[in-house]
Amino acid sequence: MGITTSPGVSAKKRPWRVTFKKQWQLYLMSFPMLFYLLLFAYVPLLGWVMAFQEFRPRFGLSPIGQVMSNKWVGLENFKTLLDNTTILGQRFLQSVVNTLGQSILILVLGFFLTIMLSLLLNELRLTGVKRFVQNVLYLPHFLSWVIVAMLASTALSLPGSGGFLNDFLLKVGIVDRPIQFLADPGYFWGIVAGTHLWKNLGWNTIIYMAAMTSIDPNLYEAASIDGANRYQKMWHVTLASIRPTIVLLLIINIGMLLTSGFEIQWLLGQGVNIVRSENIDVFVLRYGIKMGNFSLATAAGILRTVVSILLLTGSNFVARSLKQETLF
Amino acid sequence: MTALILFSTGGSFKVVFDAFPPEYLLYGGALMKRTLFTAFLLVILSAVLFASGADETKGAQGNGEPHVFSPDNPVTIDAWIVTSQTAPSPDNKISKLLKEKLGVTLNYDITTPDQQLDRIGIMLAAGSIPELVGSTDQQARLVQGGALLRLDDYLDSGRWPLLAEHVRPVRKKLTWTGGGVEDGLYQFPNYNRFYGNPPIMSPIHWGTAFWIQKDVLAFHNYPSLENMTLERYFDMIESYMKANPTIDGAKTIGFSFPMQGRVWGLTNPPLFLAGYPNDGGVMVDDGQAKIYANSKYAYDYFKFLNMAHDRGLVDPESFTQTLDQYLAKVASGRVLGVHDQRWSFGTANDALVANGQYERTYAATMPTFPGKKPYYADRDVLNINQGFGIASNAENPELLLDFLEIMLTPEWQTILSWGIEGEDYLVDENGLFYKTQEMRDNFNNLTWKQDNRLEALLDIMVKRQGELPGGNAFAAGDQPGEFFDSLKQYDKDFLAAYGLQTWRQFVNDPPPNPAHYPAWQISPPDGSAAQVANQQLEDAAQRYLSEAVLTDPARFDSVWDEYMAAIDSIDVAAFEAVITEGVQARIRAAGGE
Amino acid sequence: MKSKIKLRRKFSAESLIFHTFNYVFLALLCIAMLYPIINTIAVSFNDGLDAVRGGIGLWPRTFTLDNYRTVLGMHTILDAFWMSVYRTVVQVVTNIVVTSMLAFALSRREFKPGRPIALIFVLTMYFNAGLIPNFILIQSLGMVNTFAVYWVPTMISAFNLIIMRTYMRTIPEALLESARLDGASDFRTYLQIVMPLSKPVLATVALFVAVGAWNTWFDAFIYNSGAQHLSVLQYELQRVLASAMMQGQQSSQSSQAAQAGMGLSMVTPQTIRATITVVAAVPILIVYPFLQRYFVHGVQLGGVKE
Repeated sequence: MGITTSPGVSAKKRPWRVTFKKQWQLYLMSFPMLFYLLLFAYVPLLGWVMAFQEFRPRFGLSPIGQVMSNKWVGLENFKTLLDNTTILGQRFLQSVVNTLGQSILILVLGFFLTIMLSLLLNELRLTGVKRFVQNVLYLPHFLSWVIVAMLASTALSLPGSGGFLNDFLLKVGIVDRPIQFLADPGYFWGIVAGTHLWKNLGWNTIIYMAAMTSIDPNLYEAASIDGANRYQKMWHVTLASIRPTIVLLLIINIGMLLTSGFEIQWLLGQGVNIVRSENIDVFVLRYGIKMGNFSLATAAGILRTVVSILLLTGSNFVARSLKQETLF
Repeated sequence: MTALILFSTGGSFKVVFDAFPPEYLLYGGALMKRTLFTAFLLVILSAVLFASGADETKGAQGNGEPHVFSPDNPVTIDAWIVTSQTAPSPDNKISKLLKEKLGVTLNYDITTPDQQLDRIGIMLAAGSIPELVGSTDQQARLVQGGALLRLDDYLDSGRWPLLAEHVRPVRKKLTWTGGGVEDGLYQFPNYNRFYGNPPIMSPIHWGTAFWIQKDVLAFHNYPSLENMTLERYFDMIESYMKANPTIDGAKTIGFSFPMQGRVWGLTNPPLFLAGYPNDGGVMVDDGQAKIYANSKYAYDYFKFLNMAHDRGLVDPESFTQTLDQYLAKVASGRVLGVHDQRWSFGTANDALVANGQYERTYAATMPTFPGKKPYYADRDVLNINQGFGIASNAENPELLLDFLEIMLTPEWQTILSWGIEGEDYLVDENGLFYKTQEMRDNFNNLTWKQDNRLEALLDIMVKRQGELPGGNAFAAGDQPGEFFDSLKQYDKDFLAAYGLQTWRQFVNDPPPNPAHYPAWQISPPDGSAAQVANQQLEDAAQRYLSEAVLTDPARFDSVWDEYMAAIDSIDVAAFEAVITEGVQARIRAAGGE
Repeated sequence: MKSKIKLRRKFSAESLIFHTFNYVFLALLCIAMLYPIINTIAVSFNDGLDAVRGGIGLWPRTFTLDNYRTVLGMHTILDAFWMSVYRTVVQVVTNIVVTSMLAFALSRREFKPGRPIALIFVLTMYFNAGLIPNFILIQSLGMVNTFAVYWVPTMISAFNLIIMRTYMRTIPEALLESARLDGASDFRTYLQIVMPLSKPVLATVALFVAVGAWNTWFDAFIYNSGAQHLSVLQYELQRVLASAMMQGQQSSQSSQAAQAGMGLSMVTPQTIRATITVVAAVPILIVYPFLQRYFVHGVQLGGVKE
């Protein structure tokens, strides 16, 4: 664990000229990169003015000319998105619900299963086996989402078309007739979560595994002497030691709740399941980009950023109130 | 993919990072100073950024001598091409020929159709576009955004007779009147401008039909396909299915259709059953466009499909399968009937042929509702808003037109379409082109094509479809001799049983297309209520029609009512108004001829 | 004493059950992860027309090397493959140099501007300006259709920076202090003390960057489409996949019908797609086990309590 507890050198009030003279090399190592970042990440943010316009690009105008030639519409684009009485607004709000539903499912399942898997991996004693298993579990991370989507649609189809999930369920007797997973909107959030788990479950254990490698073995010894069994040790030693990691990951991921991926929803989303599949990204692509409406797309992006930062600070605040590890 | 990039908030790794003490959020003075400094910096940087605008050089109007294309006078042309064909390899045979004979080097920028809009938005906003512009955007955003050069004056100058002749008969249809820029011609169509009288047409019907496996027809002793109805079509399938519950060990599937990206596989049949041609989502009567999704025809068809599903004839996976899965089923030979366009299941058909299962390939039928005359086949429709145009900031538009002009000569058209004589095709004693089997195989080999064909260029290039001078078809697949040579004994017998010579004769002989036709080329403007309504209609159709077909017949009507209620909540009138307006404009334009 | 032995025996019986369960569970998980991947490989070795019929499992039905011959024979794919290797190497090197240097400065507690700078970096994880503004910037900098676009705008990622900074903070303060007393400048401390001690985190970030660089295709599409010689493997793969998955919109009906009539095939065979997938995934799969031993120890997380 990288928790550094050594107290920082207490800051004495010094004129910055003096510290600069002393630390000019540190300045040299950091400030060029700061300018670089401002240029590449912050300057393009000026483009957010699009959200307050009816943006119709015209060829041959300079960027400033583009901005000047477009019609200003104030908050119109935001109102469109949030207006529950129009079809467009309803669709956007539904897409927000779907995004949240999908990512909360990913988050909750992902958390439990990733931690559980890390614990199980941690219990493997044969190094060769452990490394092999880990490598296999990381494999799906390297397949692109497009491939994953194709694999998933095969796995979920009817038995005659290679749908081995149905094959399995039928054989074990869980169902007596095959399920059309993609035809029933009720399954879609689960499908999104399932594919995310399949792709990233192994990869995400890396961080917990890393945290576990730095647990002091004496702690286990001490627990054994106190008569703790395997599960008690897992709970009181392993989990307790990686709790800060868990809390921090939780905070970060809560900040990203309005992102639930794109390809699965886009490629497996069909008319049949659209009520549960269309998330914010798909909405933006269908009603923003594909209709040449970059303003609407930008407005949705701004809304998402604002909410993400609110969620982030909110969860950080809760963690602080509960005296847990915090992000900032 | 776009949206993902637009809105991804950071890296793909969701991991924890180190902390920032909260004091920094409330840091007061020091932070304030830094904020001001940052703001200052932003202003400076953005000033620098905006100062460098797009330059506005425009080529001079058309006079002067045509460019002499020769290796001693080399030119490089930047071409943007929207196509799903791959880029040619660097030492492509035809590229070399272009360079050796004309001194032309093409610098390709190839975008797949699904990514076209991203590029168009960027190109317009950033003011930078390759000089030769080959786009396929039905919305003509490049034209409206002012990125393409108006070509009328150039063509009227007489310097480019082949190009002028190419567009002459269809000029009115091609003239852009959609606003944003001056009315006029901005793009040369890439498909379906035909030469020859009558032009050589493909012996294969590539369009829509209710396709049925040849073996089903053989099983029923080659019944007449005249006055086909849905009942007869599905009855034939059902009795065959009873006799053959499995094909090659797999369960027989009665009927299916494509859906992913091809929603018309589901939604278009009512149009054809009612005797209308393919106008997309609307029926056009007396110049008025009206959606048919809420019509009696649609109700009847989907009610029928619901019953057919209940009889076990409709593959329930039709609504959710990917294109690959659909094609795999068709290619396995166990799907007896499909509603699809022939090109759409081309690869599956090829697989069946390669496997020798000719009896599992399909013949076209044209069911209609009682009293309706089938209108499945239309005359090939001229592409509009697709093809090459010239960028409005091109430095030398004349040179680019000179290049297109020389590409339109029969000599280069033959090279682009057939290849090089002796290597890619042979000529018989009558001057007719033909191929050996090896040459045909080459044309299906991806690697070979990259090295020996310019398919990306050909896709968007002006083409003399129909007939080349000398009586040869422009496209190898349309050459009558080629067709009969490649016909297998099973198919010869099958055609003989019906007393026909080509597959095209299974469908109606199309009358001249109506003046407005086809209405699907008329697109509502970006961001309009009509455009949103169109998307909504498509979504509602997918959602409710799947449910309606798959549900218990007793519940069909209540699902249908939900569907109708959903349509009622959509601004259909706005959509119909825009399409009707477009139809009217086309009728007026044709009347003025 | 006696009770302790008893306890141990009880543990080992329990242990047997636990480990059996554990191995069975992980084996099942491995199968779930491997099956689709092996299936993709099997399809890539199967005859194209035969594969359209579906139903290929863990082994090709009609074995052929034609797909690999085709894919590796396509110049665009081969060139893109090498370009991917090249951009990955360059991106890894620049990222490591720049990120470590900045992380070092930010890891120094006495460096007061460090925290606001870090905050400015972290915020970038939560917004994106959008396609068009980004393009206009890159264009204004003259980087369209250049190799520079692959590594200049991506020299540093906030996430990697934070990992590195956190790791560097675990280096004992005493070490740095003694270096200072020996008269070492900040730069020398960075180069001679911090860098050697940071090998694990450098390996980790190198792998993160490499995986990211190898799998990216969007920059090639947006910025470098006009320069075929700069195309990268994942973009070529993307093109093939996308044209198969997402074509056939109503608007292009007639053009596709006409294409079909002219014998231009539209859907790239499934087998070719599988082959490109395998070709695109293999190099990164070969690299990462080598870095893995550093990897597990490299990621350091935690909050700073000050």
